[in-house]
Amino acid sequence: MATVEERVKEVTAQVLKLNPDEIKLEDSFTADLGAESVQSIELVAMFEEEFGIEMDEDAALSVETVGKAVEFIAQVCEEQGVDVEQ
Amino acid sequence: MDAKEPNLLQDTYPYSLPPLIRFERPVVEYIDGKAVEFDFGAVKDRNILISDTTFRDGQQARPPYTIDQMVRIYDLMSRLGGPNGVIRQTEFFLYTKNDRETLDQCRALGHKYPECTGWIRALKGDFRLVKEAGLKETGVLTSCSDYHIFQKSKFRSRAECMDRYCEVVEAAFAEGVRPRCHLEDVTRADIDGFVLPFVDRLMEMSSQVPDELSVKIRLCDTMGFGISYPGAELPRSIPKLIYKLNQECDVPSDRLEWHGHNDFHKVHTNGGTAWLYGCDVVNTTLFGFGERTGNPPLEGAIFEYIALKGDLCGIDTMAITELADYMRSIGLPIPDNYPFVGRSFNTTRAGIHADGLRRDEQIYNIFDTEKLLNRPPRVAITDKSGTDGVVHWVNEFFGLKGEDRINKIKIHKLARWVIDQYDEHDRLTAISDQELEAKVKELMPDYWEKYKGSLK
Repeated sequence: MATVEERVKEVTAQVLKLNPDEIKLEDSFTADLGAESVQSIELVAMFEEEFGIEMDEDAALSVETVGKAVEFIAQVCEEQGVDVEQ
Repeated sequence: MDAKEPNLLQDTYPYSLPPLIRFERPVVEYIDGKAVEFDFGAVKDRNILISDTTFRDGQQARPPYTIDQMVRIYDLMSRLGGPNGVIRQTEFFLYTKNDRETLDQCRALGHKYPECTGWIRALKGDFRLVKEAGLKETGVLTSCSDYHIFQKSKFRSRAECMDRYCEVVEAAFAEGVRPRCHLEDVTRADIDGFVLPFVDRLMEMSSQVPDELSVKIRLCDTMGFGISYPGAELPRSIPKLIYKLNQECDVPSDRLEWHGHNDFHKVHTNGGTAWLYGCDVVNTTLFGFGERTGNPPLEGAIFEYIALKGDLCGIDTMAITELADYMRSIGLPIPDNYPFVGRSFNTTRAGIHADGLRRDEQIYNIFDTEKLLNRPPRVAITDKSGTDGVVHWVNEFFGLKGEDRINKIKIHKLARWVIDQYDEHDRLTAISDQELEAKVKELMPDYWEKYKGSLK
């Protein structure tokens, strides 16, 4: 099973039409990866679908980097009893 | 000063009512070189009223209403004005069989208010119509500018004109009908040379008859020349006109009425000005529809009234929306951006405003338009709407409030479709509610199934 980081990068690449190998943990979704407003919403929606979780809208949208997203999603998965590969 | 809590100025902006109009202290107007104080705050305790001329002036600007239409409008207008008769009177033509049938059917509804009055020319014979209709009061055309006296009516002198008008007033008294003299074109008249002597004479005549017959004066700003600004000269100054009639001719406030026209976009404020300076009644038409550019809008006067009084005073504002829907259904065009009733009057298009609405509708809504008009604030979807606009539209569409409101994440497919309309398909028009509804069904089927039963 792929790790949270790998899955986050895969979803991000898919939504933002990027190569997953070029995405780094310190990348900002907006400043570095060019996510526009609606793409930020799409990213959160796709993360929810990928991991089978529900995220708080404001908290999720305030996450700025890929690395923070990995941490945030891992924490939500734990809170909601979803098994993931760290 | 820093603050940890917002000061929303709710003494003035209560949200459950339109913003209140509050006054600090009397204002001063110089009249004939003398400083005169006007206490606007007293309006709260004065018996100011609205009268209506939708069926007379309002009908001069459009094809005739049918009898059924007028009866329906009258019925709704009565509900709007409420049991205290804030809309105190409405006037009817009396010349045709249909005019008289309409009047009979409106009275048959049994409403106390608006009282039905007539409107006739300054001809003695016309009082027969008033009498036969059983009306207690009628408007009488007594035009008072020289444009009308000499150019239109071809009187040989002002004295001849005044004598003729006074004969008509005498005829009204003789028939037991109260005359309401419509001083047509008063804002273009010679005030000292004709208006004041004429009104003095009318007051003298009134002193000879019972109170219920005494003459009322309607100040008709026929061409919309009236000015509300302090310091303006007669005959255009509304403050001075009202003061002169009220204080120098001794016409009581409850027998003074202002009738405006909108040729210079001043009609609503001029009506409110008349109230403040001592004229108790402002004459209006529904949605301002009237001769040429129209009259003071009745619904505008209603909200002004509430704002001045700080209370609904029995007014049923919901009837305004019903009246607008009814008028649209019978072919009266109401512009989308028309205040209080236009389809888009409380619709925002900018995404950043939609975000404000989503957080707290008070940020971008003038008052509680859902409670007072059954019209919650809306967003129109364009390229500027953003995801905030789309999510507000969806929540408003399903009527979802509080915890039930859907968040932005759940509408991402719809938001993407909207943005692609503009970015990918070069669309230049707003997206209609019908298109969005179809897309909600397609892209949000779970929510559609869950909430479709709540759609209005």
